[in-house]
Amino acid sequence: MNRPGKDVKRRAVARQACCRGTAPAARSRRQSLSPFRWFDDMISHCLDYAEQAKASRRPIVGIMCEYTPREIIMAAGAVPVCLCGGDADTIASAEKHLPSNLCPLIKSTYGYLVEKANPFLEMADLIVAETTCDGKKKMYELMARSRPMFVLELPQKENDADAFIHWKAQVLALKVELERRFDVRITDCALRAAIRDMNEERSLRRRLASLMKAEDPPLTGRRLLDLKSSISCIPEDLAMYRNALDFLESRKRRGVSNGRVRVLVTGVPMVHGAERVLDIVEEHGGLVVCMENCTGVKPILEDVDESGPDPIEALARKYWKLPCSVKTPNESRIESLRHLVGEYRPECVVELVWQACLTYDVESDAIKTFFTEGMGLPYLKIETDYSLSDSARIAVRVEALFEIVRRMGARREKGGARAVRAVAARSAAANRRMS
Amino acid sequence: MICCGIDVGSRTVKVVLFNSRTGKIVASGIRDQGADQEALAARLFDSVLKKRALRRRDVSGVVATGYGRQICPFADTTVTEITCQAKGVLRLAPRAMTVIDIGGQDAKLLRLDRDGVVRDFAMNDRCAAGTGRFLEVVAARLGVGLSELDAMASRSRKPSVINSTCVVFAESEITGLLAAGVAARDIAAGVRASLASRASRMAGRDVEDPVVFTGGVALLPGMAAALGAALGHSVLVAPQPQMTCALGAALCAAGL
Repeated sequence: MNRPGKDVKRRAVARQACCRGTAPAARSRRQSLSPFRWFDDMISHCLDYAEQAKASRRPIVGIMCEYTPREIIMAAGAVPVCLCGGDADTIASAEKHLPSNLCPLIKSTYGYLVEKANPFLEMADLIVAETTCDGKKKMYELMARSRPMFVLELPQKENDADAFIHWKAQVLALKVELERRFDVRITDCALRAAIRDMNEERSLRRRLASLMKAEDPPLTGRRLLDLKSSISCIPEDLAMYRNALDFLESRKRRGVSNGRVRVLVTGVPMVHGAERVLDIVEEHGGLVVCMENCTGVKPILEDVDESGPDPIEALARKYWKLPCSVKTPNESRIESLRHLVGEYRPECVVELVWQACLTYDVESDAIKTFFTEGMGLPYLKIETDYSLSDSARIAVRVEALFEIVRRMGARREKGGARAVRAVAARSAAANRRMS
Repeated sequence: MICCGIDVGSRTVKVVLFNSRTGKIVASGIRDQGADQEALAARLFDSVLKKRALRRRDVSGVVATGYGRQICPFADTTVTEITCQAKGVLRLAPRAMTVIDIGGQDAKLLRLDRDGVVRDFAMNDRCAAGTGRFLEVVAARLGVGLSELDAMASRSRKPSVINSTCVVFAESEITGLLAAGVAARDIAAGVRASLASRASRMAGRDVEDPVVFTGGVALLPGMAAALGAALGHSVLVAPQPQMTCALGAALCAAGL
């Protein structure tokens, strides 16, 4: 499993092999690299980028949720980096302070702190913590004992005008805090530039995700998931997204579908290192054509409005709309799912719930009803954590889901053939009458 | 045409030979699981063939199912126990709408539609709570066998309440009850009710009749009634409830 700590060691070895003086050669090699190879070393590139930023006195700001407007951090001249933990190995350390019956993402993130094993967390000048679930919120209190922290409070009532006003005030407070802490002025001009950059990145990633709408998509869900970065808007990453699009959009040869079942994945985020369920789905006859979750399309479906008079208002509005299960009710998630089903045409749905993720777990009942009764799509909920012990049991359920999809497909075809025969018989009878 | 289904479960391996021309089961066999699952499955396969003086080349297709479905080199393909269980049950009870299967280490619930397609299913995930294993641990704690545990439970007039479904927690809960002087038969009845209530929670609200009960736990005479009481529906025990999944695999092998 990939963890920043291990990647750091690999990077150090690589650096010894190719000394820093040969930058032009390195650059040309980078240009010839396939985008997939490039993102295989994503953590290592992010570390290089963060270390260089730190050396030129740019602050590093850790974030742990898609609700945090990265644009404001970027406009302050700082580097936002995602700190979400995806490694089972750090959980034991976390459990020294945290209960074992807690979501593995929270525990892994905190375990990195205990082990001092996440270089980005060690480098961070500030952590922006979001109140997007109670487990995280209370974990942040422990984290704040040793780290400078700003808590961004997300109100929860989806359709409440006051809630949005409060959220906007929180977004503004983040701006004020960044200005105070890093002694900078965040100008509207800088905000607009950051918004343009982030919109550009979102648009590139959205186009990549859209490739999966094809009848025979050119890449697997796992490959697509790997095409993203812990730090947004690194220029080389953006270039690689473009390379990937050029390569995949122009590709003439056949795609990867090969009779595999089209799957939509929804639920909790699958952060770097915690992609096991996605791998199980794709190793057992599935092709994940759409990931609705926070590590998939959820945060990139909408851009920030570039035309409005107040960039803070525009930012607050975009992020407020994210359909997270912490919201109540969370009707926009259903709306988004309905839209995605139309566009990506999945044959079934897999919902992933991290163990002890209360909000996604409870909401799964409504999601299941929506898919099975509303859309007529087979649905499977998988509740698990980062340990591997239940992989075989998950695989059985995934295989059974695909067997159901295939039997339903066969029945539809049979029904279709029967309907065609009936129409033919009717028209033959009509012809006989005519003659 | 002889087809074979082999169900490599956590506690036992089952083999069913099915004649697709006559639509009848030709022979079947069951063995307790061991460490060398592959050899055990092969030996059972051969011994069932021998009952009818058949050889492996007389069998036109073999489908393996169950947790060990990948360890049968003589199988042509594998199908999950969800699909096989549904097929096997529908062969014996064509109108079945709900299947509850409680085996050695897992419990499943299948909901079928009118055409016999699995509409939805639920399974226990990581732990063996609410499975045959749970009963085995309790029986061992009370110093009796599984059938005796069931018979004891049926003699109880005042079943105790067992709150824990986790095997480990339940064991310490039972230790506490024994220390408090609760009769073993009341504990046995409490355990049986707790298992049934867990299965009924898995079933949720919409349970459609007829409900068919399969798996090794269905062999215990009092279990179906306990399950029926928890579900609020009458529960039919499948004939040879341990063999239905292997039968379904044989039907898959026959392309039925």
